[in-house]
Amino acid sequence: MSAQPLRLVGIGLLLALVVSCMSPHPAKPTGPSGKITLTYWSATNAQELDFANQVAAEWNLQHPEVQIKVEPVPSGQSTEEVILAAIASNTTPDIYASVFPGAMQDLLDAQGVVQLDTYADFFDVLHERMTPELLNQYRSSDGHFYQVPWKSNPIMVLYNTRMLREAGVTSLPTTYSEFLSAAARVIRDRDADGRIDQWMLTIDYYPIWYKRLFDYLPLYLAASNGQTLLEGRRVMFDNEFSVAIFRFLHECFARGYAPRQTFQGDVFLDGRVAARFVGPNSIGHLERYRTADFEYDYGPIPRPDQAPGQPVSYADPKSIVIFKTCQYPREAWEFIKFLISKRNDLQLVELTSQLPIRARLLEDQTFADYFKRNPKLVKFAEQLATARSIESIAELKEIFDAIAQEVEASVVFDLKPPEQGVHDAARRSQQILDAQ
Amino acid sequence: MQPGEANRFSTHNKRGARGQVPGAGKSGFGSQVPGVGVNLISPAPGTRHLTPDPIGYAMVLPYLLHLVVFLGYPLAFAFVLIFHRWNIYTPMKWVGLGNIRLLLSDPLVWRALGNTLYFLVIHIPLQLVIALGLAQLLNQKIRGRAFFRASYFLPFIISGVVVTILWQQLYAVETGIINVLLQLIGLPKIGWLTDRRFAMPAIAIMATWKNVGLYIVLFLVGLQAIPSHLYEAAELDGASSWQQFRLITIPMLNPTIMLVLVLSTIGGFSLFIEPYVMTGGGPANSTLSGILYLYKQAFFFSKMGYATTIGFFWAMIIFIVVLFQRRFVETEAM
Amino acid sequence: MKRFLLYAILILGAIIFLYPFLWMLAATFKPEMEIAGFSIIPRQFTLESYRLVFRKIPITRGFINSLFVAMMVTASVIVFGSMVGYALSRLRFRGREMIFTLALVTMMIPAQVTLIPLYTMMVKFGWVNSYLALIVPTMMSSYAVLLFRQFFLSIPQSLIEAARLDGCSDWRILFTIVYPLSKPAIMTVAILTFMGVWNDVLWPLMVIRDPQLMTMPLMVTLFAIGGQAEARLGVQLAAAMLLALPVIGAYLFLQRHLIESIASSGMKN
Repeated sequence: MSAQPLRLVGIGLLLALVVSCMSPHPAKPTGPSGKITLTYWSATNAQELDFANQVAAEWNLQHPEVQIKVEPVPSGQSTEEVILAAIASNTTPDIYASVFPGAMQDLLDAQGVVQLDTYADFFDVLHERMTPELLNQYRSSDGHFYQVPWKSNPIMVLYNTRMLREAGVTSLPTTYSEFLSAAARVIRDRDADGRIDQWMLTIDYYPIWYKRLFDYLPLYLAASNGQTLLEGRRVMFDNEFSVAIFRFLHECFARGYAPRQTFQGDVFLDGRVAARFVGPNSIGHLERYRTADFEYDYGPIPRPDQAPGQPVSYADPKSIVIFKTCQYPREAWEFIKFLISKRNDLQLVELTSQLPIRARLLEDQTFADYFKRNPKLVKFAEQLATARSIESIAELKEIFDAIAQEVEASVVFDLKPPEQGVHDAARRSQQILDAQ
Repeated sequence: MQPGEANRFSTHNKRGARGQVPGAGKSGFGSQVPGVGVNLISPAPGTRHLTPDPIGYAMVLPYLLHLVVFLGYPLAFAFVLIFHRWNIYTPMKWVGLGNIRLLLSDPLVWRALGNTLYFLVIHIPLQLVIALGLAQLLNQKIRGRAFFRASYFLPFIISGVVVTILWQQLYAVETGIINVLLQLIGLPKIGWLTDRRFAMPAIAIMATWKNVGLYIVLFLVGLQAIPSHLYEAAELDGASSWQQFRLITIPMLNPTIMLVLVLSTIGGFSLFIEPYVMTGGGPANSTLSGILYLYKQAFFFSKMGYATTIGFFWAMIIFIVVLFQRRFVETEAM
Repeated sequence: MKRFLLYAILILGAIIFLYPFLWMLAATFKPEMEIAGFSIIPRQFTLESYRLVFRKIPITRGFINSLFVAMMVTASVIVFGSMVGYALSRLRFRGREMIFTLALVTMMIPAQVTLIPLYTMMVKFGWVNSYLALIVPTMMSSYAVLLFRQFFLSIPQSLIEAARLDGCSDWRILFTIVYPLSKPAIMTVAILTFMGVWNDVLWPLMVIRDPQLMTMPLMVTLFAIGGQAEARLGVQLAAAMLLALPVIGAYLFLQRHLIESIASSGMKN
């Protein structure tokens, strides 16, 4: 026994030697036979990983010399925290396919991404997908392109239509007042314990900045008919639209239409909540897990009564980038072209029910059969026509964090009046912009 | 990182083992703890005939080098960062006292401090009462003491992540076991992690559950070190068992109580993984902790300078609170 | 009656501390719909949750990473810590008392101060996403230094003098004479260091993003909150269970040692 500590020490020293011989960035690009391996970070949800794996497998079969390795982006509470840390430490993958365009400015400031419009066929490939006007929305502040606009998840409202019908609501709400009156009929206290346990709406209100992209932002775009939150470096959202939104959501929480809690598991699938803000990617999840008698449909983002024009929503677009750490950007670009080819776009729709950013998607023969089989996705494709992206400035996360803080404080927990919440969020945002 | 483990081990940060009870060394903290603590500062044999001993230097050299590189340098760099704005990937920008001014006027920093104090106000008394109570019971002649001790101690050694994921289920509003139990005895369900009045207490209860085993063991060691003749003498003088507890047990355990206080306090100030996993700091920032806020500033918003300023501020507060506790408990003991 | 009450409280305590683990163990074998409820025996037994965990994350790799990192750090803390402890307690040289004071002072610096600077250092060193970032900054411990020093002081000087007369060098004395006598101290340092490193999440969260290099607790944390578990409770609990198992296993064997080491160390201040 007395020899044991010594032996341990010996083993330890030996291991220390091993470790000190290992370089911090082991292995990578080329394998034994001069083979190139590119790492591709995909979003973490199961459908998208399936898609990524399938596309990569097919590519790998055809291109033995350039192999793609799929990894889910190792995200914590948000993926952006990971990406920037990865850039700072030169540990980015080669390709990342789930970039939030609002965060592009950060990636540019960090000089983390490869300029793409230097590839001779860049514009050919992208004009095949979208109009030059639309593509221009993705041009970065220096006039160049660093991202490939890939797919979009326009936000709409998902309803449990059976619950609405049982409550006597026959058409999907389009305005705040219709939504609220439907809500009043939907809520129940099922187990009669004096607490509402069937609700109209659930919102994940934890103050994590990006969550407000999926409720406040679409509501704002819908209410204001597509106005932007900022103009240059000036905050524009301290206005009647924001106040109306805060009041509307506040009403939902104050009257018990929306639960002041978040849930383990999926309350929408459990049939305890009748509505939530989602993108079309929810279809895949719902179809996989729903029970046979579960009915659902999608409606437009509610707006103030008598709002003009077509309802606008947030497009939640995602782009593809190549990171500067990539030693074979040309090969990566070839793979990206393969990834966004029409065939794989169809595959994307089939597997993830997300929409490729392509002009005239609904008229395209390639997708016609799919849309015929999945009429629900047609609504999203139609919504996409009027959906907006969001401006990319470095402070965007902090501004949305400020909004998230105020939504939680005034809308959910009633700590200050909605007007005050809007005002405080705007003031704080302006401070953030001015401080830089 | 449940509080306890927090501090003690790695404090969840790398420097793990370097440990960090502020004030631990001062005035022989260790040496006053009979049975518990180890006296870490008794003098070594005389050093009068100092002869340079090359082997001595060789033996301390790696340690000194490591100390300079991984403690001295970051410490110095912290002082630089406090006066800069820096996102790591673009050059640093001098902001003078900007970060400090921001910190003093940042409501969320004070919120985090308030939350931590709220945590401690619940956690520490709960910890002391339960640990001392169970230790007292275990200190009697009973069968299966080893079993009880081992089962109380189990949560302490389990990773904080496991405990957090587990308790998230136990706290679930509709189906969680705790609420179902409350209902059985006729109480209303509580939104443990979703009601801003209860979220921090919920975390404090969980932290107590996780760490109390350690403190039971510490108290048990302390109790066993109290000479039994003290109780016998008190018995002869007709002291009631409450009086015995009040006049003998508590004063004799004073060093252990101090230890528990300091460890729990540092644990409270090191809260991170619980809110990170369970609540994200919500609802309405009611579980925002200093470290979580620091992490958010550093990794959500890439503000390394400001994050360092928060870290520095936080460390100062810990130092002051622990110093204050030591004063307080020591005078009490007189 | 009093004894009955005594045992009732103790048993209630044991239930409170043990039941959640049993419930968790059972939940990992239950189908999703059955998890809510008190039962610690699954009615329908399924391995689906574990299958999903193994399919979705390289958890075995995480286990190996954790084991490797914790062993490296522990070995280093023991070897280097005991060297300094020996020098401070048994050798005479100028500056000895200063180093001793330094060790005491460094223990008083809260780690929060250096958290971010140390992270930026890892970035500049290019150590992010490597074992180096997990191991090197933790390789030394002032606490271990002080503990070893204190323990070595209790070893009779005559033993060491005798060895010196036999012509032993101080290195040999430390490793062949002092070590065998210091098993309790080594054990204590080993257990505290190993547990500290094994359970740490914050630091790995900051410096490791590559799933192949993640430690087990980090992997499980990200799995639970990062969306890969798809809000499925059984899967999250199964991942947590896998993380707890090695520790529980070690605990069953080392229980006495462990509790006593930790208790006697007076905490690793």
